[in-house]
Amino acid sequence: MIGAIIATFLTAGVEWVEAYTILLAVALSIGWRRAAGAGVSALAALGVLTAAGTLGLAHVGNLSFLQFVVGFFLILFGVRWLGKAIARQAGLKKLHDEAAEFVALRARAEIFDPRAAWAIAFNGVLLEGLEVWLIVVALGVQTHHTLAAACAALAAAALVLAAGFFARGPLANVPENTIKFTVGCGILALGTFWVLEALGYQWPVGEFSILALFGFNVAGGLAVARRYKMRLA
Amino acid sequence: MRGFLKTLFGDSRHVCVAASCVGVAALLLRTPLAAAAGLVLPAALMAGAAYLARH
Repeated sequence: MIGAIIATFLTAGVEWVEAYTILLAVALSIGWRRAAGAGVSALAALGVLTAAGTLGLAHVGNLSFLQFVVGFFLILFGVRWLGKAIARQAGLKKLHDEAAEFVALRARAEIFDPRAAWAIAFNGVLLEGLEVWLIVVALGVQTHHTLAAACAALAAAALVLAAGFFARGPLANVPENTIKFTVGCGILALGTFWVLEALGYQWPVGEFSILALFGFNVAGGLAVARRYKMRLA
Repeated sequence: MRGFLKTLFGDSRHVCVAASCVGVAALLLRTPLAAAAGLVLPAALMAGAAYLARH
Protein backbone atom coordinates (compact mmCIF):
# COMPACT_ATOMS: atom_id res chain seq x y z
CA MET A 1 0.00 0.00 0.00
CA ILE A 2 2.83 2.41 0.88
CA GLY A 3 4.45 1.74 -2.51
CA ALA A 4 1.18 2.57 -4.26
CA ILE A 5 0.82 5.82 -2.31
CA ILE A 6 4.41 6.87 -3.01
CA ALA A 7 3.96 6.05 -6.72
CA THR A 8 0.72 8.08 -6.82
CA PHE A 9 2.31 11.02 -5.00
CA LEU A 10 5.33 11.12 -7.34
CA THR A 11 3.25 10.67 -10.51
CA ALA A 12 0.87 13.39 -9.40
CA GLY A 13 3.75 15.67 -8.43
CA VAL A 14 5.28 15.51 -11.91
CA GLU A 15 1.94 16.05 -13.64
CA TRP A 16 0.87 18.90 -11.33
CA VAL A 17 4.17 20.72 -11.98
CA GLU A 18 3.28 20.74 -15.69
CA ALA A 19 -0.31 21.76 -14.91
CA TYR A 20 0.96 24.57 -12.67
CA THR A 21 3.05 25.99 -15.54
CA ILE A 22 -0.11 26.18 -17.67
CA LEU A 23 -2.14 27.76 -14.85
CA LEU A 24 0.59 30.31 -14.19
CA ALA A 25 0.81 31.30 -17.86
CA VAL A 26 -2.98 31.67 -18.04
CA ALA A 27 -3.23 33.50 -14.68
CA LEU A 28 -0.89 36.22 -15.90
CA SER A 29 -3.41 36.95 -18.69
CA ILE A 30 -6.83 36.48 -17.10
CA GLY A 31 -6.00 36.71 -13.40
CA TRP A 32 -5.58 34.09 -10.69
CA ARG A 33 -9.27 33.90 -9.80
CA ARG A 34 -10.37 32.76 -13.28
CA ALA A 35 -7.32 30.56 -13.79
CA ALA A 36 -7.90 28.90 -10.41
CA GLY A 37 -11.57 28.45 -11.36
CA ALA A 38 -10.52 26.57 -14.48
CA GLY A 39 -8.08 24.46 -12.46
CA VAL A 40 -10.65 23.61 -9.78
CA SER A 41 -13.24 22.74 -12.46
CA ALA A 42 -10.75 20.36 -14.08
CA LEU A 43 -9.98 18.81 -10.67
CA ALA A 44 -13.72 18.37 -10.05
CA ALA A 45 -14.07 16.63 -13.43
CA LEU A 46 -11.17 14.35 -12.47
CA GLY A 47 -12.89 13.66 -9.14
CA VAL A 48 -16.05 12.58 -10.96
CA LEU A 49 -13.97 10.41 -13.32
CA THR A 50 -12.21 8.83 -10.31
CA ALA A 51 -15.52 8.02 -8.62
CA ALA A 52 -16.97 6.63 -11.87
CA GLY A 53 -13.85 4.60 -12.66
CA THR A 54 -13.63 3.18 -9.13
CA LEU A 55 -17.34 2.28 -9.00
CA GLY A 56 -17.19 0.77 -12.49
CA LEU A 57 -14.18 -1.40 -11.68
CA ALA A 58 -15.56 -2.33 -8.24
CA HIS A 59 -18.50 -4.00 -10.00
CA VAL A 60 -16.23 -6.33 -11.97
CA GLY A 61 -16.92 -9.68 -10.32
CA ASN A 62 -13.95 -11.58 -11.73
CA LEU A 63 -11.00 -10.43 -9.58
CA SER A 64 -8.36 -12.09 -11.78
CA PHE A 65 -9.75 -10.27 -14.82
CA LEU A 66 -9.74 -6.97 -12.90
CA GLN A 67 -6.15 -7.58 -11.78
CA PHE A 68 -5.14 -8.34 -15.37
CA VAL A 69 -6.79 -5.18 -16.73
CA VAL A 70 -5.26 -2.96 -14.02
CA GLY A 71 -1.86 -4.62 -14.49
CA PHE A 72 -1.98 -4.18 -18.25
CA PHE A 73 -2.79 -0.46 -17.93
CA LEU A 74 0.09 -0.08 -15.47
CA ILE A 75 2.45 -1.85 -17.91
CA LEU A 76 1.27 0.44 -20.69
CA PHE A 77 1.84 3.49 -18.51
CA GLY A 78 5.13 2.28 -17.02
CA VAL A 79 6.78 1.22 -20.28
CA ARG A 80 5.86 4.60 -21.81
CA TRP A 81 7.30 6.63 -18.94
CA LEU A 82 10.40 4.44 -18.71
CA GLY A 83 11.02 4.64 -22.48
CA LYS A 84 10.64 8.42 -22.39
CA ALA A 85 12.90 8.78 -19.34
CA ILE A 86 15.60 6.56 -20.93
CA ALA A 87 15.46 8.66 -24.12
CA ARG A 88 15.85 11.88 -22.14
CA GLN A 89 18.61 10.50 -19.94
CA ALA A 90 20.54 9.23 -22.97
CA GLY A 91 20.19 12.57 -24.75
CA LEU A 92 17.97 11.14 -27.53
CA LYS A 93 15.22 13.53 -26.49
CA LYS A 94 15.34 16.98 -24.94
CA LEU A 95 14.69 17.22 -21.20
CA HIS A 96 11.31 18.72 -20.37
CA ASP A 97 11.90 22.41 -19.67
CA GLU A 98 9.15 24.11 -17.66
CA ALA A 99 10.62 27.57 -18.23
CA ALA A 100 10.62 27.06 -22.03
CA GLU A 101 7.11 25.61 -21.84
CA PHE A 102 5.99 28.71 -19.94
CA VAL A 103 7.52 31.05 -22.54
CA ALA A 104 5.89 29.08 -25.38
CA LEU A 105 2.50 29.28 -23.67
CA ARG A 106 2.82 33.03 -23.11
CA ALA A 107 3.63 33.45 -26.80
CA ARG A 108 0.28 31.93 -27.85
CA ALA A 109 -2.17 34.57 -29.07
CA GLU A 110 -5.22 32.79 -27.56
CA ILE A 111 -3.88 33.21 -24.04
CA PHE A 112 -5.00 36.86 -24.07
CA ASP A 113 -8.60 35.93 -24.90
CA PRO A 114 -10.37 35.23 -21.56
CA ARG A 115 -12.53 32.34 -22.86
CA ALA A 116 -9.73 30.66 -24.79
CA ALA A 117 -7.32 31.11 -21.88
CA TRP A 118 -9.84 29.55 -19.49
CA ALA A 119 -10.17 26.60 -21.88
CA ILE A 120 -6.37 26.27 -22.10
CA ALA A 121 -6.14 26.12 -18.30
CA PHE A 122 -9.06 23.66 -17.96
CA ASN A 123 -7.84 21.33 -20.73
CA GLY A 124 -4.25 21.55 -19.52
CA VAL A 125 -5.07 20.54 -15.93
CA LEU A 126 -7.52 17.87 -17.16
CA LEU A 127 -5.04 16.30 -19.59
CA GLU A 128 -2.14 16.40 -17.12
CA GLY A 129 -4.46 15.00 -14.48
CA LEU A 130 -5.62 12.07 -16.60
CA GLU A 131 -2.46 10.11 -15.91
CA VAL A 132 -2.92 10.85 -12.21
CA TRP A 133 -6.51 9.61 -12.51
CA LEU A 134 -5.35 6.40 -14.15
CA ILE A 135 -2.83 5.73 -11.38
CA VAL A 136 -5.25 6.63 -8.57
CA VAL A 137 -7.99 4.36 -9.96
CA ALA A 138 -5.67 1.49 -10.96
CA LEU A 139 -3.63 1.39 -7.75
CA GLY A 140 -6.59 2.33 -5.55
CA VAL A 141 -8.88 -0.40 -6.87
CA GLN A 142 -6.18 -3.06 -6.76
CA THR A 143 -4.97 -2.20 -3.24
CA HIS A 144 -8.45 -1.16 -1.96
CA HIS A 145 -7.08 2.25 -0.96
CA THR A 146 -8.55 4.59 -3.57
CA LEU A 147 -9.22 7.32 -1.01
CA ALA A 148 -5.63 7.20 0.27
CA ALA A 149 -4.33 7.31 -3.32
CA ALA A 150 -6.60 10.29 -4.12
CA CYS A 151 -5.37 12.05 -0.95
CA ALA A 152 -1.75 11.43 -2.05
CA ALA A 153 -2.55 13.06 -5.42
CA LEU A 154 -4.18 16.06 -3.68
CA ALA A 155 -1.24 16.35 -1.27
CA ALA A 156 1.09 16.50 -4.27
CA ALA A 157 -1.10 19.27 -5.74
CA ALA A 158 -0.90 21.23 -2.47
CA LEU A 159 2.88 20.83 -2.38
CA VAL A 160 3.26 22.00 -5.99
CA LEU A 161 1.02 25.02 -5.32
CA ALA A 162 3.00 25.91 -2.20
CA ALA A 163 6.29 25.55 -4.10
CA GLY A 164 4.87 27.66 -6.93
CA PHE A 165 3.77 30.33 -4.47
CA PHE A 166 7.31 30.63 -3.09
CA ALA A 167 9.06 30.29 -6.46
CA ARG A 168 6.76 32.85 -8.12
CA GLY A 169 7.51 31.28 -11.49
CA PRO A 170 7.56 27.94 -13.32
CA LEU A 171 8.98 25.09 -11.21
CA ALA A 172 11.94 24.50 -13.50
CA ASN A 173 14.19 22.88 -10.87
CA VAL A 174 12.09 19.79 -10.22
CA PRO A 175 14.12 16.68 -11.27
CA GLU A 176 11.26 15.61 -13.49
CA ASN A 177 13.15 13.01 -15.51
CA THR A 178 14.54 11.26 -12.42
CA ILE A 179 11.05 11.11 -10.93
CA LYS A 180 9.57 9.82 -14.21
CA PHE A 181 12.30 7.18 -14.44
CA THR A 182 11.69 6.01 -10.86
CA VAL A 183 7.90 6.02 -11.19
CA GLY A 184 8.11 4.26 -14.58
CA CYS A 185 10.23 1.50 -13.01
CA GLY A 186 7.87 1.16 -10.03
CA ILE A 187 4.65 1.14 -12.04
CA LEU A 188 6.13 -1.33 -14.54
CA ALA A 189 7.13 -3.62 -11.64
CA LEU A 190 3.60 -3.53 -10.18
CA GLY A 191 2.01 -4.09 -13.61
CA THR A 192 4.30 -7.04 -14.39
CA PHE A 193 3.59 -8.63 -11.00
CA TRP A 194 -0.19 -8.27 -11.23
CA VAL A 195 -0.52 -9.33 -14.89
CA LEU A 196 1.45 -12.55 -14.41
CA GLU A 197 -0.28 -13.31 -11.11
CA ALA A 198 -3.67 -12.82 -12.80
CA LEU A 199 -2.58 -15.29 -15.50
CA GLY A 200 -1.87 -17.89 -12.83
CA TYR A 201 1.88 -17.47 -12.35
CA GLN A 202 3.19 -18.13 -8.83
CA TRP A 203 5.88 -15.59 -7.96
CA PRO A 204 8.75 -17.32 -6.11
CA VAL A 205 8.88 -14.90 -3.14
CA GLY A 206 5.35 -13.50 -3.30
CA GLU A 207 5.01 -9.71 -3.07
CA PHE A 208 8.74 -9.31 -2.40
CA SER A 209 9.14 -10.07 -6.10
CA ILE A 210 7.88 -6.51 -6.74
CA LEU A 211 11.07 -5.15 -5.15
CA ALA A 212 13.20 -7.46 -7.31
CA LEU A 213 11.29 -6.34 -10.42
CA PHE A 214 11.76 -2.70 -9.44
CA GLY A 215 15.51 -3.27 -8.98
CA PHE A 216 15.72 -5.03 -12.34
CA ASN A 217 13.89 -2.15 -14.06
CA VAL A 218 16.14 0.49 -12.47
CA ALA A 219 19.36 -1.40 -13.31
CA GLY A 220 18.14 -2.29 -16.81
CA GLY A 221 16.88 1.23 -17.54
CA LEU A 222 20.15 2.81 -16.40
CA ALA A 223 22.17 0.31 -18.47
CA VAL A 224 20.10 0.99 -21.61
CA ALA A 225 20.39 4.77 -21.14
CA ARG A 226 24.14 4.45 -20.66
CA ARG A 227 24.51 2.31 -23.79
CA TYR A 228 22.50 4.78 -25.91
CA LYS A 229 24.54 7.67 -24.48
CA MET A 230 27.82 5.94 -25.39
CA ARG A 231 26.55 5.30 -28.91
CA LEU A 232 25.66 8.99 -29.30
CA ALA A 233 29.09 10.17 -28.04
CA MET B 1 -10.91 12.74 -27.48
CA ARG B 2 -7.71 11.99 -29.35
CA GLY B 3 -5.67 13.82 -26.70
CA PHE B 4 -7.58 11.95 -23.99
CA LEU B 5 -6.77 8.54 -25.51
CA LYS B 6 -3.17 9.42 -26.31
CA THR B 7 -2.59 10.72 -22.79
CA LEU B 8 -3.99 7.53 -21.29
CA PHE B 9 -2.67 4.86 -23.62
CA GLY B 10 0.08 6.47 -25.70
CA ASP B 11 0.18 5.71 -29.43
CA SER B 12 -0.22 2.40 -31.28
CA ARG B 13 3.48 1.64 -30.81
CA HIS B 14 3.13 1.69 -27.02
CA VAL B 15 0.05 -0.52 -27.12
CA CYS B 16 1.80 -2.98 -29.50
CA VAL B 17 4.87 -3.23 -27.24
CA ALA B 18 2.81 -3.86 -24.09
CA ALA B 19 0.37 -6.26 -25.80
CA SER B 20 3.08 -8.31 -27.50
CA CYS B 21 5.14 -8.65 -24.28
CA VAL B 22 2.07 -9.74 -22.28
CA GLY B 23 1.00 -12.03 -25.17
CA VAL B 24 4.38 -13.79 -25.19
CA ALA B 25 4.23 -14.25 -21.40
CA ALA B 26 0.66 -15.62 -21.62
CA LEU B 27 1.72 -18.13 -24.29
CA LEU B 28 4.77 -19.12 -22.27
CA LEU B 29 2.56 -19.89 -19.28
CA ARG B 30 0.83 -22.60 -21.34
CA THR B 31 4.07 -24.42 -22.11
CA PRO B 32 6.38 -26.52 -19.91
CA LEU B 33 8.58 -23.40 -19.64
CA ALA B 34 5.91 -21.56 -17.60
CA ALA B 35 8.33 -20.95 -14.72
CA ALA B 36 10.43 -18.75 -17.01
CA ALA B 37 7.56 -16.25 -17.53
CA GLY B 38 8.64 -14.27 -14.46
CA LEU B 39 12.01 -13.67 -16.11
CA VAL B 40 10.84 -13.33 -19.71
CA LEU B 41 8.15 -10.66 -19.17
CA PRO B 42 10.39 -8.14 -17.32
CA ALA B 43 13.19 -8.69 -19.87
CA ALA B 44 10.77 -8.28 -22.79
CA LEU B 45 9.32 -5.10 -21.28
CA MET B 46 12.82 -3.69 -20.77
CA ALA B 47 13.58 -4.43 -24.43
CA GLY B 48 10.28 -2.72 -25.28
CA ALA B 49 11.17 0.37 -23.24
CA ALA B 50 14.58 0.46 -24.96
CA TYR B 51 12.84 0.26 -28.36
CA LEU B 52 10.37 3.01 -27.42
CA ALA B 53 13.23 5.24 -26.22
CA ARG B 54 14.68 5.18 -29.76
CA HIS B 55 11.38 5.61 -31.60
